Amino acid sequence: MSFRRFVALLGSIVGATLIVIVAFLALYAWPAVRLNGFAFLTDNNWNLGSLYANPITVHGQQIMPGAHYGILFLIVGTLLSTMIALLIAVPVGVGAAMFLAEGVSPMIRTWISLFVELLAAIPSVVYGLWGYVVVIPFLGHHLFPFLVEHLGFIPFFGGAAGSGYGLLTCGFVLALMIVPLITATLRDALVSQAASLHEGALALGASRFEAQWGVLLPAVRRVLIGSSILATGRALGETMAVLMISGNALNYLPSNIYAPISTMASFIVSQLDSALTDPTGMAVRSLAEVALVLCVISIIVNGFARLLLYYEGRQSAGVM
Amino acid sequence: METVAKIAVKKTEDEKAERVMTAQAVAQAALKIQVSNLNFYYGSYQALHDVSLRILSNKITALIGPSGCGKSTFLRALNRMSETLRGTRATGEILLGQEDVFAMDVVTLRRRVGMVFQKPNPFPKSIFDNVAYGPRINGLAHGTSLADLVEASLRRAALWDEVKDHLRKSAYALSGGQQQRLCIARALAVNPEVLLLDEPCSALDPIATAKIEELLYALTDTCTIVIVTHNMQQAARVSEHTGFFLMGKLIEFNETSLLFKKPACKETEDYITGRFG
Repeated sequence: MSFRRFVALLGSIVGATLIVIVAFLALYAWPAVRLNGFAFLTDNNWNLGSLYANPITVHGQQIMPGAHYGILFLIVGTLLSTMIALLIAVPVGVGAAMFLAEGVSPMIRTWISLFVELLAAIPSVVYGLWGYVVVIPFLGHHLFPFLVEHLGFIPFFGGAAGSGYGLLTCGFVLALMIVPLITATLRDALVSQAASLHEGALALGASRFEAQWGVLLPAVRRVLIGSSILATGRALGETMAVLMISGNALNYLPSNIYAPISTMASFIVSQLDSALTDPTGMAVRSLAEVALVLCVISIIVNGFARLLLYYEGRQSAGVM
Repeated sequence: METVAKIAVKKTEDEKAERVMTAQAVAQAALKIQVSNLNFYYGSYQALHDVSLRILSNKITALIGPSGCGKSTFLRALNRMSETLRGTRATGEILLGQEDVFAMDVVTLRRRVGMVFQKPNPFPKSIFDNVAYGPRINGLAHGTSLADLVEASLRRAALWDEVKDHLRKSAYALSGGQQQRLCIARALAVNPEVLLLDEPCSALDPIATAKIEELLYALTDTCTIVIVTHNMQQAARVSEHTGFFLMGKLIEFNETSLLFKKPACKETEDYITGRFG
């Protein structure tokens, strides 16, 4: 076999893996998809039913009596926690990247960059444990009551401050996990920008910040969008850390930013054990459907990003 | 005019008289930039040795010399762009009008002393936003007056007719020569007193080069121009005064016609006749 064919084969295996996984998932979840219908996405009720009764037949599928699968609260929890994480992480990440690219000497940049990259290398369970031991007591006892008292007039900032487990905590910890992704990528892009752009701005009387903000940052828009999408993917799929700090809300929509939530990824882990006790297997198939929905959301986010980059690229090329 | 005076001693009486007269003419015309005993260091490496030079208002001054002779370093010292590199140091004095350049606010200095670089470096923005960048960050104009300023700057850079219908297009869609004129328009938009050009045509074809040379002369009504060039024909074509740099020293500085026809120094003659460099 020629080298060319060998490499082509390897490449297709990688591509095929995605299709095979999604196809398998869809196939396995198919009975659940047919049973749950569209209500799976809009109902706020996940109930395994009475596990000790005899299975009944609904729409030709065997399920336990009283079983119902609706995951609106998971979709909301996943999207909101990811959104909050991005709202925090993008400005922080951009600021850190600008600082590393311009504000410090190359030597210090190397050192700080090393730490930033190590931050990305920490296993997520460590973030989870740290969130559980350190962040939650602090947020629950100090920051959240403070926010309720002083910013309570803003919608979703008031109400019960809760225990510290919940949406905003997830947002914080997820933000911390994805900031390194954004910072490291953007810093490299900023540093590799032609020095001539930077000089051009300085020669017009721009300060170093103005040059970074007004000229270099727009030049790396595509990188910023790309790294934010990567970060979104990670936040959407983050499992372990969220499991430990989200409060694992069930069938409950958050009423404010402190409320406990659950996300699709962490829900699959937390519910797998009890789902396996369902003798009809429908609970596990429904969990597979959760995974399928998560996949589809990730693919949509990615597709949206590509669309954005495509139009960005056309603009930069001057087509418009 | 220390250098000119020094050189004059070496020459015959006739030529000496001619050169002294030139020196007087230079002294009488309005001075824009006066550089005295400038030394410049990159770390421990000394790139400029005791350079003294006077640049006249509303004239074009060319700086020539072989690669690495310090002419670009000298140019970049004039608006303190050289400071953007770490470990650089300058001694001596540069006066812009009557003001000490090293004591000035660097943002003000760079607004008053604009710069165009060797490679066209348009920003990743639209044509309009490129030209509007300087006025915007310096708070010079907005709204209609900004649009007028952009148009005026593009007209002065002889680019308006080519881009007036595509102002919202990316600057990257322009040709190299157009991009360089855009960079000149961008520099002009903050209404600088001095325009420094660092080999502005080295990346351009002869036609684009000719366009830029034409436009430089027209700019002297409001600007003093200092241009670094590798191209001696270019220096001869566009400038009124020329300085020849060699190994960090200003070897000779004179009216362009004199410097090219009757160079006072052996090194200058060797360089302009193509014996080295």
